[in-house]
Amino acid sequence: MLSIKNLTASINGTPVLKGIDLEMKAGEIHAIMGPNGSGKSTLGKVLVGHPAYAVTGGEVLFEGKNLFDLEPDARARAGIFMGFQHPIEVPGVSNASFLRLAYNKKAEAEGRDELDPLEFDDFIHEKIKLVAMKEEFLDRSLNEGFSGGEKKRNEILQMAVLEPKLAILDELDSGLDIDALRVLGDAVNRLQRPDRALLVITHFPRILETIQPQYVHVLSGGRILKSAGKELAIELEERGYDWVLEEAAAGGLR
Amino acid sequence: MTLALTSSLLADLLGGARPAEWEALRLGAEGRLAGRDLPTTADEDWKYTDLKALASLSFGQAPRATVDISGHLLPEMVGTRQVFVNGHHAPHASCASAVQAGVRFFPMSTASEACHALGSVPDGGEPGLFEDLNTARFEDGAVILVPRNMRVALPLHLLFISKAEDPIAIFPRVLIVLERGSELELVEEHHGEGTYLTCPVVEVRVGEGALLRHERVQRDSDEAFHFGTLKAEVAKGGQYHSRTLSFGARISRQQPWVRLAEGADASLDGLALLDGHQVADTHSFLLHAEPHATSHQLHKCIVDGQARAIFNGQIRVAPHAQGTDARQQSRNLLLSESARMDTKPQLEIYADDVKCSHGATVGQLDPEELFYLQSRGLNADDARNLLTYGFAGDVLNHIPVASLRRSLRQLVMARTQADSLGELS
Repeated sequence: MLSIKNLTASINGTPVLKGIDLEMKAGEIHAIMGPNGSGKSTLGKVLVGHPAYAVTGGEVLFEGKNLFDLEPDARARAGIFMGFQHPIEVPGVSNASFLRLAYNKKAEAEGRDELDPLEFDDFIHEKIKLVAMKEEFLDRSLNEGFSGGEKKRNEILQMAVLEPKLAILDELDSGLDIDALRVLGDAVNRLQRPDRALLVITHFPRILETIQPQYVHVLSGGRILKSAGKELAIELEERGYDWVLEEAAAGGLR
Repeated sequence: MTLALTSSLLADLLGGARPAEWEALRLGAEGRLAGRDLPTTADEDWKYTDLKALASLSFGQAPRATVDISGHLLPEMVGTRQVFVNGHHAPHASCASAVQAGVRFFPMSTASEACHALGSVPDGGEPGLFEDLNTARFEDGAVILVPRNMRVALPLHLLFISKAEDPIAIFPRVLIVLERGSELELVEEHHGEGTYLTCPVVEVRVGEGALLRHERVQRDSDEAFHFGTLKAEVAKGGQYHSRTLSFGARISRQQPWVRLAEGADASLDGLALLDGHQVADTHSFLLHAEPHATSHQLHKCIVDGQARAIFNGQIRVAPHAQGTDARQQSRNLLLSESARMDTKPQLEIYADDVKCSHGATVGQLDPEELFYLQSRGLNADDARNLLTYGFAGDVLNHIPVASLRRSLRQLVMARTQADSLGELS
């Protein structure tokens, strides 16, 4: 589904990704872990086309097509979704209107029927149950005045509405208490299907107890230093990141 | 009488006969006007608003006319409206049958001079030129009196419609008095077609503990000139909340002046949506005259084409007005290279225990917000239009009269090209 080959990218002329290789197949869950400032979030933002980053080399194929031929909105309609660490507030546009617009743009692109406000009302009321969101958050302006946790809930709600093929979740656990983390983690698990892939970006291993990856990659200094199965997350929980960095520095980079 | 006026425009406007009533008021205004001329951009107060286009025209007296008002009716207020066409009361278009008993809502032309105190809202300085023009020549307008402790259930609707074949001048006058503890919601709208000059003056007295919500909509024709004066005096513990929404007119200027007594609360919000060569100017003055009053002001402008917007927000905190809490924000969006915004907060604080804040931003749409919407599948144009709509919608969302809120949202959606996005709320 996703094939990343020797990807390099920079921000304001400073290289932040220095040659990333990653293969993801449908049905897989991958975790990208690493210390702060390692380039984890950058990888996600480059994949969804954030304008602050310039791709300087390498290639990314999504379902066989060159991802960088597509504008950010076309990538979204093609089925890529990123749940952001810091979702943006948009005053004056109700959450419900925004969700319906996003849903209908995707439906239109896929040749499915668009939903009118009443139909969408039924649809969204099912979806908010999945993330245990209170109804009032639908009528409020998009993310405006939402707490950190409510914003994350809203990101997963958007994921549930858009049903992406590839979902990238950036630091889902930041700003969440344990109960909310469990609710959202369960929601993500329920959205996972054999034809979908999930890339979980996280500093802390805790979230991977709920959303269990098959593959764990440690990213630091813009490179993937180590890739292994989910047992790596447990080891990182116990030992931290330093040993991976030291191993890599000692030439253990595979 | 002859007036020594240097401006032919002012001479023309004052050329007609002086209306019979309120003679003392009118003489005072004429006296002040005798020494004055139209302001120029050399006047600090008019630095950014050039009146040459106005000065080059000549405006005749406004004839009576009939208009179809069906497009302006709002369902919440079908039985609580007074309509004025070209400044004249239009009895057949008006309907006050649903106005709550005890509330007085009638045309000024039928009011007796003794029953109220027109021109009595005090001012710190000289009345403005357009206010004096109104005082000298107004013929009609509305009087609203709400008795003590009465909560008026249905909102009242004031509709000023102008229809000009040739350029005409119109001077609507409104007096609103809320006695102690009363509550009222008022919608004041200005619509029109053709070239005209309108100089409305609205005087407001909010009694102790009384509450007035005042929605003001300016949808004048694109050839119109609108110079509005609002003077509001809010007594102890009273609340005055106004929202002025400016969409029309070639040149418009709003001059709200609000005085707050002890513990009073005011909000003075504004939205201007401009395109083409439009100019919209707001010069506001908020006077915290006594302790513990609060004020909020959010002024937003969306400027496209070669239009320009001006905001000058003066807040004065008097020496003994301790415990004042005043907040002002001027937020402005420029949608084209040649659009222009001049914004200036002006805080004069003479007390020491006060909370005053102000902020002003002028800019384009936030690229982070655009990207966020695009990352959910909206193309760049749709994302821009939705954000522009949202920038304005933020002000509209708090309008309490549902039908007005809906119709203004639709207007803003059309003007921001967001109507292609379907129904938004």
